[in-house]
Amino acid sequence: MKFQSQKVAIPYFVGALALFLGQIVFGLIAGLQYLNGSFLFPELPFDIAHMSHTNLLIVWLLMAYMGAAYFIVPEEAQTELYSPRLALVTFWIFLTAGALTILSYLFVPYAHLAAITGNAALPTMGRGYLEQPLPIKVGIVLVALSLLFNVTMTLIKGRKTSINLILVGSLWGLALLFLPAFYFPQDTVKASFGWWWIVHGWVEGDWELILGALLGFILIKMTGVDREIVEKWLYIIVAMTLISGIIGIGHHYYYTGAPAYWIWLGTIFSAFEPIPFILLIAFSFKMLLARRREHPNKAAMLWALGTPLMAFLGAGLWGFMITLAPAQYYMHGTNFTAAHGHLAFFGAYAMVALAIISYAMPLLRGRIANSAAAQRWEMTGFWIMVLSMIGIALALTGAGLVTVLLQRAADDPMSFMQVQDKARVFFWLREFAGLAFFIGLLVYLRSFFIAGEYGYAGEMKQALAA
Amino acid sequence: MKLPQAIPLKPCTVSWFALLGLTTITYELSARAPGQALMALVLGVMLVKAHLIVSDFMGLRHTRLLWRIVMAAYLAVVGGIIAFTCLTA
Amino acid sequence: MATEISVDYPQALPGDFAIWIFIFAELVVFAALFAAYAFARSAHLEMFDAAQATLDRAYGYANTLVLVTSSYFVARATQSIKAGRATRCGHWLAGALGLGGVFLALKLAEFQQDLAHGISLSTNLFYMFYLSLTFFHFMHVVMGMAILAVVAYKAYAGRYGAADHAGVETGASYWHMVDLVWIILFTLVYVVH
Repeated sequence: MKFQSQKVAIPYFVGALALFLGQIVFGLIAGLQYLNGSFLFPELPFDIAHMSHTNLLIVWLLMAYMGAAYFIVPEEAQTELYSPRLALVTFWIFLTAGALTILSYLFVPYAHLAAITGNAALPTMGRGYLEQPLPIKVGIVLVALSLLFNVTMTLIKGRKTSINLILVGSLWGLALLFLPAFYFPQDTVKASFGWWWIVHGWVEGDWELILGALLGFILIKMTGVDREIVEKWLYIIVAMTLISGIIGIGHHYYYTGAPAYWIWLGTIFSAFEPIPFILLIAFSFKMLLARRREHPNKAAMLWALGTPLMAFLGAGLWGFMITLAPAQYYMHGTNFTAAHGHLAFFGAYAMVALAIISYAMPLLRGRIANSAAAQRWEMTGFWIMVLSMIGIALALTGAGLVTVLLQRAADDPMSFMQVQDKARVFFWLREFAGLAFFIGLLVYLRSFFIAGEYGYAGEMKQALAA
Repeated sequence: MKLPQAIPLKPCTVSWFALLGLTTITYELSARAPGQALMALVLGVMLVKAHLIVSDFMGLRHTRLLWRIVMAAYLAVVGGIIAFTCLTA
Repeated sequence: MATEISVDYPQALPGDFAIWIFIFAELVVFAALFAAYAFARSAHLEMFDAAQATLDRAYGYANTLVLVTSSYFVARATQSIKAGRATRCGHWLAGALGLGGVFLALKLAEFQQDLAHGISLSTNLFYMFYLSLTFFHFMHVVMGMAILAVVAYKAYAGRYGAADHAGVETGASYWHMVDLVWIILFTLVYVVH
């Protein structure tokens, strides 16, 4: 850490991890409700558990990216953050709004919540990921504007590196892509068009750029490879992301009432969407091989290398499986989608957030890296979480396959609930894998509470003795 | 007085003339009645043009065999797919 | 008379290797688009041939000549910088940029004509492919011109030289790729029938 103001990233990272924990708890509850529909009913119905799970995901990722921006932008710009105080105030507003949203989901019936928050005046509520009441959506915009103002002013007064330009540019994109949240027309085709641009515009376009910038920053710092080389790779990855993603997002428009040519355009261009992830893998491993130093923070390196691989697996491979229109015709809305969603969100976006946290938190706490013991806990957490998330994805893929075989492509299709019954074993497997993930998360969080920093002398002595 | 010597044309200039000529041939062929011989000719001309660009403009003529094979394979695959779909249409 | 001894050492790809990763990725993307067109055409042969006959092939012909020539200019620019003649390199690049502009203008005129005939992505499968393929390529020409403009600016500013010509080669390689895919696109969409 080079600048005092980078410290505002700490509450963002801590807040993100706390919300992450909450997300997993709701995930476990919702998973159990697949097996026992009356579990916690009527106190916590499935739809509420489900939307708390997805909303917390988005909020904690946003919080982590904001923290990352407050950490990276000053360091890259070689200047203090424009206003650390504004960043702190924004954090508390964001956290309070996030907590209020979840509490209102839990304690106020959704229809009543809509009535008291002015949804009638400007309808925005009800669509997946965008369930937040109107005032909260406005709050999200204000928080985003505050962040953009702060980092853009920092960028203007400091050094303009490519990483900073890509990061700040994609944060602007993130905010702009949220605006269709306020567009909810009666026409369901138009409504779904706008809806896809938000969270899916993020994950298939904008957030890939954030991911690239964060990974590029971590790799420059950890490997000591020339900035110039990293930047060239980043530009290629950004270009490929946009070339594939902007039109590739059309794979959401199949059979929705959108013009039929989207079946072709969406199929062809979304088939290219794995390419940027393949490039990310090539990039990170090339940087690893070209490294000029051994950074003591092995855990951060593990996250940084795991991210592109898991992103390729979850976003690239699992996404490709369901993206072609003829496949989507049968797989739409089955658990194949849920499998892809879990593996992609974790593999790409949660893992890159954990990677930057892993790199930055020790520095923010005044050490180059955590003690070897803490890193062992963290890396154990990494492996448990990664493997159990693969388990979740495989179990959901199995459940999706059951639906396709017994319902979608069957000569004598079974009813929805019958199929759910047939897939029960996979929902059990998913729940067990989810439980393992939760344990992995606890192991990971435990690493933050192990005191001490990385000691070169101690490590050396140990290595020599062994 | 020394006689002016013929200025040797650079390979890329020769290729440029060839590309202009081949493009004109392609344009001429485009108005002809369809047929498999015509198709073969058109695709052949396309591959020659692509090869000229790759070797003389991009300069892959001077690179390692590997890269020349990669590019040749690319053109062969694309040309092959087009030819295949024409034959099976 | 002195004999010039030239030994051909196999060389690496011209320019920055990173641009070649991008070029190969782009070529794969275009190959998939061409393959999709070719297979769709074989499934709807008569419709494709009938619709293709409505295209004004003169536009495609003229644009091919323009793009091939601009690619030639770029090749000459690379030779100029290798000979240490930076200003001449800049001139060749400026010429190539001008021709890129001509290409865009012709393509826009053609799009304008299609629009006037009420042709859209929804007209039929052939026009869907024709419009999206040529527009996708159009955007690549725009991107290639942006790259060439930066290279030309740097060449005029004296930032390249005989020993330091990788930047010119990098931009040139991308532009030749844009030319290469147009050669295939022109043959496939305008000519093959």
